[in-house]
Amino acid sequence: MDFSLTDEQRMFKEQVLRFARKELAPRAQEFDLRSEFDWEAWKKLGEFGILGLHFPEELGGSGADVLTSVLAAEALGEAGVDGGLALSYGAHTYLCADTIFSHGTDEQRRKYIPKLAKGEWVGCMGLTEPSAGSDVASLRTRAEKRGDRWVLNGSKMFITNGAIADVAVIYAKTDTSAAQMGISAFIVEKGSPGFSVGRNLIKMGVRASPTSELIFDDCEIPKENLLGREGAGFLMAMQTVEWDRSTLLAPFVGAASYLIERCSKYAQEREQFGRPIASFQAIRHKIADIKIFLEAARPLVYRIAWCKDQGRPLNHLEAAVAKLFIGDWSLKPTSDAVQVFGGYGYCHEYDVERAFRDGRLAPLGGGTSDIQKVLISRLM
Amino acid sequence: MNFDWTREEAELASKVSAVFGAECVSQLEALEHADLDEMRRTTLSFLKKLPGTGYLGLALGPKAKGEIMTLIAGQERLAVRSNSLFLAVESSARLFGGLLRGFGNPQALGQILDPLARGETIAAVAVSEPEERDSPAAALTYGVARGDGFLVTGKKSYMTNGPIADWIAVTGEIQGSPAVFLVRGDQRGVHVGPRLSTVGYNGIAVSALDLDKAEVPGSHVMGPFEDRRHLDFLATMQDLVLTMASVGLIERTVAFSKNYAQSHVRGGKQIVKYQEVRFKLADMLTLSHSSKLLAYRAGWLLSVGDPEAATVLRCAKVFSSEAAEQTAIMAMQIMAGAGYVSGNPVERAYRDAKLAALGGTTSEVARMAIAADQLRRYQVQAHGSH
Repeated sequence: MDFSLTDEQRMFKEQVLRFARKELAPRAQEFDLRSEFDWEAWKKLGEFGILGLHFPEELGGSGADVLTSVLAAEALGEAGVDGGLALSYGAHTYLCADTIFSHGTDEQRRKYIPKLAKGEWVGCMGLTEPSAGSDVASLRTRAEKRGDRWVLNGSKMFITNGAIADVAVIYAKTDTSAAQMGISAFIVEKGSPGFSVGRNLIKMGVRASPTSELIFDDCEIPKENLLGREGAGFLMAMQTVEWDRSTLLAPFVGAASYLIERCSKYAQEREQFGRPIASFQAIRHKIADIKIFLEAARPLVYRIAWCKDQGRPLNHLEAAVAKLFIGDWSLKPTSDAVQVFGGYGYCHEYDVERAFRDGRLAPLGGGTSDIQKVLISRLM
Repeated sequence: MNFDWTREEAELASKVSAVFGAECVSQLEALEHADLDEMRRTTLSFLKKLPGTGYLGLALGPKAKGEIMTLIAGQERLAVRSNSLFLAVESSARLFGGLLRGFGNPQALGQILDPLARGETIAAVAVSEPEERDSPAAALTYGVARGDGFLVTGKKSYMTNGPIADWIAVTGEIQGSPAVFLVRGDQRGVHVGPRLSTVGYNGIAVSALDLDKAEVPGSHVMGPFEDRRHLDFLATMQDLVLTMASVGLIERTVAFSKNYAQSHVRGGKQIVKYQEVRFKLADMLTLSHSSKLLAYRAGWLLSVGDPEAATVLRCAKVFSSEAAEQTAIMAMQIMAGAGYVSGNPVERAYRDAKLAALGGTTSEVARMAIAADQLRRYQVQAHGSH
């Protein structure tokens, strides 16, 4: 067993950290407050190469391995980048672009990946519906073949990047008599007839990431926009779990490092009863607890990434364990950080307030903690 | 990065597992109720089976830190079998053996080390003192030179293996400098206290130790040392041992709870079919995985001498010990009344789990040290300029 990173991996993480601290983190507060997507930060992410990190160079990427991608995502969290921006990045690169890359034709890859890798286009993924979240088999969105076109009807809910996406990977039932195996995936571009974006949801956290409903009302797309083979959509969605449990969890792990830094500095500056609050055991124990969470969470995520790099099939038990642990156990560190900051921690101008709200997504998004427990208890 | 055990690590783990066949179950169970004679016999019988695995000779002293991952692979297999036996073996082989191999003269101490390596003797280490629990700097045990040796006087508390040990390594001072005195439990001036009645770990014998001008020949004295690295080594190994004890306890408890939930029927169905039970099992397994990986990483950092190793090991110890307690609580809830009856593995785990949080570096002291490390890392100069 060996937990070492290569020099290249370490240096790249440092580079991302420096870049994110300088170019992205200072913008977080403003865009969170305005609940607006930060296009300038997005452009910078694209220029730096993060949005297409693991894609081949000929498609505009850098050919990075999964672990390096995880380190980059962790560095974003560690730098204090807005949780919404990190979420948008995850949904764009891994849930949308990678699905096209992994299951698309050469033509589909050439058409979409370079634009997505550079950030010229924004991608999203639509699986969840108003009445079908964790219960994927009960999807109601239908796709029907009519001549040389597919016609989609239905709606999708809680779609990250939905309102700003140029291209979406949409899961719909093509065989209503089959459960999961009746689901297919489609590429739907903005402007497709019958495709519209519903209301933008006002959220507790990750506010700089637009979340919306997508509506398909006799939405017509060309027949070649079927992604992969008919009926393979569920398996494609499940394959994104590997990314979801590694790169999309990594910012929550990185955020713990950020909280340690913020709390450690604040606790040394803030004085009460004539001395820095860092001298009180209660404060120190909170800082220690955040560090303990960080150290426990990190290898769980690295393990998923390492296995994918080895070409091993996803171990669903390990993936669910990582998601459950980071989902449930990351809440206390954000709460502890607010407590260290006291009344100031409750105010927007101190970043821990944003981290507290953003972190609440962890046990909800990408499969709730309860669903992870169902999975784990079934698999164990 | 590699999350797989190496062949060497896996082989060691396999050999250690092989020592504990089905016939050992009753022996290990009996150990929990054994008197001192039986405890000594049983402990020695297992110690004698281990030399062939290579387990007893691993990571003895700081220079052998590169063997820590192999050690951990074996520790996990032993700890999952019996927490009591694991602690007895580790106190003897790793703490006592590591102290002598790492800081003594192995040639001069051959008469002690050779039988120890063959699993023929049991040893103990006496560090903590009644008045100053977490500060070895205030040692109350000291040696005064007399002829070729020393007269050693002092008091020690909570000595694992004390009442069944052939040899005891006693930390103390010589003229203010740290030293270690090797004494026998039955020699004049050495008074091993009665076995203490403890909440858990009933398969080990813990006692206090009184030394009243015990004669120790110069050949059995290590030091005086110029620093306290031997104490740091002991603290590190003790924390690693307790971390792995928790890891083993959690794994064993999860497995037992799962089997119980699958076999116990209430309301006309197996209780594992109830979501409340299933969710507890899921939480327990999550604690098991996270504790293990954190312990592995802490061990690996120690093995490569990483500057953050001490902090991450403290994190691992705090996390795994508290995870062990939570696991035991959930396991007992799954078993309900049956879990509350003395003698079942969950009831034992419930009692055993507590030790890791207060043995070695206590959770409170560990948290203070972890925080101090973070505060140093993000040090703020005067008045907010950083």
